Amino acid sequence: MKKSSIYTITLILFTAAVGLIIFKYKNDQIAKEGTIYTLQQRKGPSAKSQEWASMKTTAMALSESVRRDPADIKSSLALAALFIQEARITGNYMYYDMAALKYINNVLKKDSVNFNALLYKSLIYLSQHHFAEGLATALKAQKINPYNAFVYGIIIDGNVEMGNYPAAVENSDKMVSIRPDLRSYSRISYLREIHGDYPGAIEAMKMAVEAGAPGDESTEWARVQLGHLYENTGELKYAEMHYTIALDERPAYAYAMAGLARIALASKQYIKAIEWYLKADSLISDYSFKEELVEAYHLSGQKDKANALSMSVIEGLTKDAQMGQSDENIGHYADRELAYAYLKINDYDKALEHALLEYNRRPENIDVNETVAWVYYRKGDFAKALPYIKVAMKTNCKTPTLLCRAGLIFEKSGDKTTARQLLQTALKNNPNIAESLKTEGQEALKTL
Amino acid sequence: MQKEKEHTRSGNASMILLFLSAALLISHSLFAHTINYALEKAPTGNVIWFYLKLGISHIVPQGTDHILFVVGLCLLSTKISTILWQATAFTVAHSITLALSMKNIIIAPSAVVEPIIALSILFVAVENILLNELKPWRVIVVFFFGLIHGLGFASALNEIGLPRNKFAISILSFNAGVEIGQIAVIISMFLLIIIPLGRKNGYRKFVVYPISACIALIAAYWTIRRVGY
Repeated sequence: MKKSSIYTITLILFTAAVGLIIFKYKNDQIAKEGTIYTLQQRKGPSAKSQEWASMKTTAMALSESVRRDPADIKSSLALAALFIQEARITGNYMYYDMAALKYINNVLKKDSVNFNALLYKSLIYLSQHHFAEGLATALKAQKINPYNAFVYGIIIDGNVEMGNYPAAVENSDKMVSIRPDLRSYSRISYLREIHGDYPGAIEAMKMAVEAGAPGDESTEWARVQLGHLYENTGELKYAEMHYTIALDERPAYAYAMAGLARIALASKQYIKAIEWYLKADSLISDYSFKEELVEAYHLSGQKDKANALSMSVIEGLTKDAQMGQSDENIGHYADRELAYAYLKINDYDKALEHALLEYNRRPENIDVNETVAWVYYRKGDFAKALPYIKVAMKTNCKTPTLLCRAGLIFEKSGDKTTARQLLQTALKNNPNIAESLKTEGQEALKTL
Repeated sequence: MQKEKEHTRSGNASMILLFLSAALLISHSLFAHTINYALEKAPTGNVIWFYLKLGISHIVPQGTDHILFVVGLCLLSTKISTILWQATAFTVAHSITLALSMKNIIIAPSAVVEPIIALSILFVAVENILLNELKPWRVIVVFFFGLIHGLGFASALNEIGLPRNKFAISILSFNAGVEIGQIAVIISMFLLIIIPLGRKNGYRKFVVYPISACIALIAAYWTIRRVGY
């Protein structure tokens, strides 16, 4: 065969290949659009609860309504809300966010200014850590309905994540004036914690717990947050009490189990702590459990298990993040989590790469600045860590982990006076923070 | 001569079809392009340096596929001017789609862009084997491939984001970085292959064919993987 003929055949094959790629993509899109999302079976005791049974019945009825009439906006949004709720309960955000988005996008195609659709979309953005987009969408929704308390909650969360703290406080005042409830009190508590007011934060979180119905996921979540505030102030007995109550009110509540794991870890009961973490991890998907479990494995001397788990956390987070490249509808920014995960395996360059990626998106957020500062510290680049840790402390946040890290960075930077003050404050009440950090802080304090 | 013209016409038609097909896939993704808030407050010099470095590293060492594409462009001709023409056409094209994509004017799904990028590498490699000399339409072909590669650069740049107040300078710096990366590959090709071996007998048989065949195999593998089989 002549070369010219081969060339022509090549061109035809090439064009056909392009056509096939596009055809496959279109087919995949059609298949995706036709996907019927259902509730996935829960694990543990909550799978036998009355709440789960009624949720399944509601989901089936709503799915049927949407199937019969795809233009049924009310049922589509109710189904989306149900998926968002289930994501929070099970931690399976990747699946349920995709499920909810399908119905939200369908509604927005028909009505681009639908308040609830925008509200839910902003929630999904936040859940996927696309905070700037979440905030922008919530603000768009707020223009449509400025009298809805829920939208202010999302605006507060978005502003906190973007580091716009005065705007978050301003919106929390509006939210609580419209609707003083669990959601608004818990946000006030968090804002007070960020601004270093632990007694105020505890008071507001107690109000949040009292405002909710015992046993509800949101109430028990608030109770666990209250326990965590007590951990930070060194009152472990109160923390343990609240975690135990949460577990009684909502059996097999994974976040309460993780709380009890931290309490066990503080009293050096490593085996018990690992058992709690494993139980929590078997119930819902949350990388924070795995990260804390890595610490527990380290402390109990199980280095191989710690390293293997660290690697699996990195793989899982990377896979979640990469989903955004293959599916335009989903994609979780997990760079801050990845930075800490890489620190656990001492890969400082990768940790810094991810920390800076997140910093580029949220340069004003105190947690992100803390992450960048801590990565530089662990790399031994103390001069670079200092400006970031100063930004991390701009709201006067007194989280013991932050103060301890800040103290260590100031100590290495030669500012002994500030370092001593910070470390003393951080360790004053013997808060429940990572054992390795606490030991490092205590040793540094002895030299000051 | 007549056959060459036919090749030219069919070649161009193929490329135009390719680009139009890809452009038809314009879709609105959930997530708008990322904003780099940190660099909005940084001095312009820092922004230029940041994106220039990013552009370079996107080719060398991270862009194995782009490196193979540029290597492929260097194999059919040993003349620096013709290679630079191709590189320039590629740069102009990817600059256009990169800017349009970052401005959300066109958004092509990576599920389509990435396999076509791999396919473009395969095409150039196969063309190197089938043709004895560089044809005039090659620059047009490279231009159209550049348009597709630009959409690929956009998805990579999206992770880092762009500062809104320095959008143009960021894109230009990134493109300049990409260009520097490409020139580095071209210079390496000249120093390592074209200057020492380009004029020797058997250059095509012992250099162009094996390298092109290797590139073609790798690109074919990437195409299949990126399509998701």
